[in-house]
Amino acid sequence: MTRIVLWLLGGALLGGIIHILVILTLPLLAEETTWSRVSAFEAKNQMLILPQVEAGEPNPLRLDPELVYGLCQVDLADGPAYLHGLLPDAFWSLALFNEAGAVIYSTTNRDGIGQTVELGIFNAAQTRLLAQQQLDIAEGLLVVEAPSDRLFVLVRLSPPHEAMRKRFAERLAAISCGPRP
Amino acid sequence: MRFVLLLLTAIAIALATGFGLSYYALTDGRLFGAAQIGPWISWPDLGSAAPNPYSRGHLAREAMLQLGRAEGLQFVATMDSAGEPLDLACSYRLDGHVPVSSFWTLSAVDRQGVNLAAPGADLALRSSEVVRNNDGSMSVHVGKALSPGNWLELAGTGPFSLQLTLYDTTAFSGFSSDNDTMPAITRGDCA
Repeated sequence: MTRIVLWLLGGALLGGIIHILVILTLPLLAEETTWSRVSAFEAKNQMLILPQVEAGEPNPLRLDPELVYGLCQVDLADGPAYLHGLLPDAFWSLALFNEAGAVIYSTTNRDGIGQTVELGIFNAAQTRLLAQQQLDIAEGLLVVEAPSDRLFVLVRLSPPHEAMRKRFAERLAAISCGPRP
Repeated sequence: MRFVLLLLTAIAIALATGFGLSYYALTDGRLFGAAQIGPWISWPDLGSAAPNPYSRGHLAREAMLQLGRAEGLQFVATMDSAGEPLDLACSYRLDGHVPVSSFWTLSAVDRQGVNLAAPGADLALRSSEVVRNNDGSMSVHVGKALSPGNWLELAGTGPFSLQLTLYDTTAFSGFSSDNDTMPAITRGDCA
């Protein structure tokens, strides 16, 4: 009897180990990741408006139908990335994703920045140059240090009414994104 | 013979618990990375820079554009407050308050994340469109049957889930003790 219980316990223990292995290796095994889905859009160094969610249509990125989304992919190996522009007076938020699909930085327009988008993204080496004052940046630039080079920025803009969507999308698309020319 | 039988049983248990637990942890996840308020489930760690392993696994499965910590939180309900799965054959009512936020949206999706709004109807209900009761609480009707007041009109058949996305919210921030409240979901008539 004890032997049977020991065998069963051994099975459960092995199950626990399998569980931990599955959880830890799953992100490494995934073939379709947020990064691969985002790379399918051609949004390198430009603010691309994501297609609107339609009823009955697949929505793999799980977008909120009420919002307008602007996507921009940057590579800090080409130099620091800058976002510059003015958004309409409505709620907007900004998230910086790394290649693994985690949000490494996020903010909203209620954090005292209002309508102005002035953001500089720097990697560790570029931040050091910034500290040594060897990089010129505009005053009031929001400085974000990123641990890796390949990133994408997602700006969510919320038009208060459906009628404003087109105008809001145009304003969002006008935001400049990418290394300084 | 007995040894082989015991070995096979142990392996079967190991596989069942190992993969079963992993599947549960990444879909429902209530005992692992997810937090629950009534019928509503949220993954508060999804938007952090270094999500915990369960949230990372959940993200890998969904490959979605989640909200960052500062941006907001999404709650999903697949069951009503009585524990019955949400079904398009029935109509539902949401009553109560949501945590403090700049605004929120409510939409219904199927298992694949496809929006279930009726043709011609709004894809989501936004907090600014909701008429509130005198005490500031809200009552929202959800379903295919014509309903008075706030109504999220749906189409289709089968199970569905409700997504309530709070933007710029203080939920789970620990600032206020009675803030973490979500509306109750009550089932009405079923067709």
